[in-house]
Amino acid sequence: MTQAEIVEALLAFIAAPEATEAEFEAMALTVFSYQFRHNEPYRRFALQRGRTPLSVRRWRDIPAVPITAFKDLTLSCSPPERAERIFMTSGTTQGVRGRSYHPTLAVYDHSMLLNFRARFMRGRDRIPMGILFPDETALPNSSLAHYLALARHECGTPDSAVFIGEPGLDLDRMLATLAAAEASGEPYALLGASYSFVPVMDALTARGQRFAMPAGSLILDTGGFKGQSREMAPDEFYDGLSATFGVPRSACINMYGMTELSTQFYDDGNATTPPVKSGPHWIRSRVVDPLTGTDLPEGARGVLVHHDLAHFNCVSAILTEDAGEIVPDGFRLFGRMGGAESKGCSVAVAEFLAAARG
Amino acid sequence: MIEHAGHLPGLTRDEVRWRSVRHAAWRETVEIALPELDEAQAQALCARVRADARSRLKRMDVARIVAVIDEAIARLLDRQHPLRRKAEDLLPIVTGYDRETVRLGLTSYLKTFRRPQLQRFLAEDFSNPGMLDTFQPAAKGGFVRAYGPELLLHVWAGNVPALPLWSLICGLLVKAGTVGKLASAEPLMAGWFAGLIAEIDPELGECLAIVWWKGGEAAGEAAFLRAADTVIAYGSNATLEALRAKLPATTRFLPHGHKIGFGMIARTALDSRKAMMLARLAAHDVARYEQQGCYSPQLLFVERGGRVTPGEFARYVAHELAALAHRHPRRALSPEETASVAAWRGAQELRALDGGTELFGEPADPWSVVHVEKPEALNPTGLNRTLKLVSVDSLDAVPALVAPYRSYLQTAGIAAPPAELFRLAGRLGEVGVTRIAALSHMGAPEAGWHHDGRFSLLDLVTMTEIEHSAEAAAEGFAPYAD
Repeated sequence: MTQAEIVEALLAFIAAPEATEAEFEAMALTVFSYQFRHNEPYRRFALQRGRTPLSVRRWRDIPAVPITAFKDLTLSCSPPERAERIFMTSGTTQGVRGRSYHPTLAVYDHSMLLNFRARFMRGRDRIPMGILFPDETALPNSSLAHYLALARHECGTPDSAVFIGEPGLDLDRMLATLAAAEASGEPYALLGASYSFVPVMDALTARGQRFAMPAGSLILDTGGFKGQSREMAPDEFYDGLSATFGVPRSACINMYGMTELSTQFYDDGNATTPPVKSGPHWIRSRVVDPLTGTDLPEGARGVLVHHDLAHFNCVSAILTEDAGEIVPDGFRLFGRMGGAESKGCSVAVAEFLAAARG
Repeated sequence: MIEHAGHLPGLTRDEVRWRSVRHAAWRETVEIALPELDEAQAQALCARVRADARSRLKRMDVARIVAVIDEAIARLLDRQHPLRRKAEDLLPIVTGYDRETVRLGLTSYLKTFRRPQLQRFLAEDFSNPGMLDTFQPAAKGGFVRAYGPELLLHVWAGNVPALPLWSLICGLLVKAGTVGKLASAEPLMAGWFAGLIAEIDPELGECLAIVWWKGGEAAGEAAFLRAADTVIAYGSNATLEALRAKLPATTRFLPHGHKIGFGMIARTALDSRKAMMLARLAAHDVARYEQQGCYSPQLLFVERGGRVTPGEFARYVAHELAALAHRHPRRALSPEETASVAAWRGAQELRALDGGTELFGEPADPWSVVHVEKPEALNPTGLNRTLKLVSVDSLDAVPALVAPYRSYLQTAGIAAPPAELFRLAGRLGEVGVTRIAALSHMGAPEAGWHHDGRFSLLDLVTMTEIEHSAEAAAEGFAPYAD
């Protein structure tokens, strides 16, 4: 299968209203064959695991690469130097960032938009948006910057604005915009990295200022705090958003995405935490024992594996470092499954790496 | 059943608030109650221990203290003694280590604190241990006497059974009034030992207390940290830094950070007979307390050119670890520990794609061995019986591979002929290794060892000297002076 053919097949698969288990499996096996054939390091990885397109019959048996592989290996079915876009992780291990190569953004964009409309827009065509994240020109390798640009261009009204520029957050402009939106009575949407919301909440609290955004307004946060702001517990965070902007927690949606994927997961609001997360029919998730890779039963906590057909050029099956459990309509996410500190007095990897970073 | 931890002279059980913590392993559970003193209680306890140390402990001869410790250790070595039985029952549940590991570990460890070994401790640090009791003539002239701190605070960490006894006993030998903070992961032995001391010599028992607080949180913490003259602490560098920041500038701070152990196998040790045996010894060091000890090996550097290649030797070690797993099952791992092992194994697997790396064992096995052909620098493994073997053309390359991690170095296990042992030891000492042991002994330091290259007793004391001039001048004031 050529790249053009796999792209065409995937665009059609994504555009379909639903996919049965059998349809997903058939497409997953096709994508695995394609990746096995064109992605040399992934082929070697699969061979080492004894999994080839000939031996694998179920999508669950397609070998999942640990996400650290995106740092160590060049995982691409097409020549990496000809990629239209390379998305890189913000986190590094000893200076190395994980990379996802996109020879075309057609599949990524199609996947993002269909899913975004279904899960965030709640039936609207467009909504005025305020973005709390630098734009694509500032961060050309950020998948989140691209995601937010797509959201703004395709689903935002023309007066949508990015509030974080070269000098940082333009708080005055943001507050003026919010005040105008509040007065207009029209729903408004704020989107950005979770950590970008923290200083805004702090600043407003310090000024004793609050907004009561019109009914139907929405907030989308993503990515957690990553040491960029103080850490907030989920309930504290959503209570804070709700109190500061007057947007009920049920309209505060968290997007869970990764540089190593081309599809995102959403919840249906954070009235209670942790909410159930789910994705569209072209991505499926498993919860596994990280050592053996075997599926854990529903309700058992393990490590999440995502199988994203839209991530066709790299690897579709990835073993994350996120803890989760499968529930009836999706999964619950419990944050990073961090490595353990030693229980004794030996040095463990986490401490050693922290020291190496200085 | 609820087991109350600690040793709190002057406080009754009802006066203290207890925090209950449940431990479960090997299909059994035990409830441990940890004492949480309020600030006033902590202050009063410190004052009381300090006063008793001043009025009683400082007046005891070291010989009496040694005799009491010897008696307490004898009771703990007696497998019929109720406390020893309790230790063998509860420690596996609390720490997760299997029963046999705990039993064997306790015996071999406790043996290092009998009277002859305690005398070795003393002789190792003091040319004349009598200076702990009275002024003794000094070689340079005059007289000298050593004083331990009035209040020594130990902050213990980790789940290796009975490990706190090491510093606890060192403190007693220099007559330090002692307050020890239990490690949450093994909160029992130190308190039991203190109880035994009190039973054998009630006066000595008044001079030590074993307490607990939740690190960084409790009201009592500040009181303890303020009261101590000297603090010995164990833990990660982050923990130690946080602790140091809370201490008054005048407090002596003796930190022991986490370490990483490694082994070195010379080609001459790799004939087919010796290699088998060495593999067994190395596996023993790896399995002992699941590599949680600072002395536990995480890497073995193996020299090429022997009859047995490094790759074959790795296979032997893997075989021995598999065999050991039957006799001494690995403790159940927490999800975080499993993730650490998986992350390490996953990374090795990715590297294996480029060749030159061989993985032994299945992911589900309770051990993991990887062998790499290219020399690489020291690096921690996933712990819990995960070992890396690194081929080197010559063991002389090893000091440079470990040198960048000086602050993490401590124990090296060496299998090499005498001349090579001394040559390598010299170079390892230069880069910061402080202890060289035989394979299979890495996890059992001998009595009187210099932990992290420091003096176990000498670091605790201050010397008071009567200079020769004072002694000579005194003669002039004697009633018999002419």
